[in-house]
Amino acid sequence: MLTIQQNDLQSIFEHCNAGYPNEACGILAGRDKRVEKVYLMTNAKPGPDYYEMDPEEQFRVMRDIRDKGLAMVGMFHSHPSGHAYPSSVDVEKAYWPGTEIPNYPDAIYMIVSLVDRSKPSARGFSIEEGKVQEISLSVV
Amino acid sequence: MAITVRIPTPLQRLTDGKADVESNAKNITELIDALEKEYPGMKERLSDGGKVRRFINIYVNDEDIRFANKENTALKDGDVISIVPAIAGGG
Repeated sequence: MLTIQQNDLQSIFEHCNAGYPNEACGILAGRDKRVEKVYLMTNAKPGPDYYEMDPEEQFRVMRDIRDKGLAMVGMFHSHPSGHAYPSSVDVEKAYWPGTEIPNYPDAIYMIVSLVDRSKPSARGFSIEEGKVQEISLSVV
Repeated sequence: MAITVRIPTPLQRLTDGKADVESNAKNITELIDALEKEYPGMKERLSDGGKVRRFINIYVNDEDIRFANKENTALKDGDVISIVPAIAGGG
C-alpha cells in the first residue's frame, strides 16, 4: 500500500490536467511507503502518449530527496485519454534497457487517468521482473 | 585519490552489491572499459556501439556528459560519477 495525502493527490491531478492533452509526470518522495513530498516534473518530450522526465531536473530532484533524508517511493504520470494501467511502453521503460531488471526497485508507479478530466483517477503499480502488480493507494 | 562511481541499484548485482566503486579512468570511455574489466557485463549495460545508451544518463559531479564532451568527457581525481536511468514511459 502507498499512503498519500489528499492535498498531494490533488496537486498531482492539477499538474496532470495542466499538461493535458500531453502526459505529465512527477516524483513521489517519502519513507515507508508514505508520500511526504511531491515533485511536479517537466515532461521533456511531451506527447499525448509519451513522457520523459527532464534528466537534469530528475538528477537535481533525486539529490534533493537524498539531502532531505527521504527516498524516492514512486513516480507518477498521466494517461490523458487512457485508463490508469501501465502500458507496454511504461513496462519496457521501467527496466534497464535490454533487460527486465527494474530501474527503480520498490518504486511505485502511479498512473493518473484523465478520461474524465473533471474527476481524475489514480492507481498504483509495482513493475518488477516482468510482473505488473497493483498496489493500493491509501488517501488520507 | 581516484574517482568515485555511484552504482545504481539495478547494476549492483554486477558489483557484488557495492554501491560505490573507484576507478582511475581518464574519461568516460575508459571508465566503461575499466568497469567492464572489473565487473563483466557492465559495458553492455552502459553502452551500445561505444555510445552511452539512450535512457541512461551519466553525470560527472553535477554535469550531464551529453552537455560536456559526451564519452570523451575528461575525469580527474575526486570526481563523482553518477549513473542515472531515465524515468520515461507512456501509453
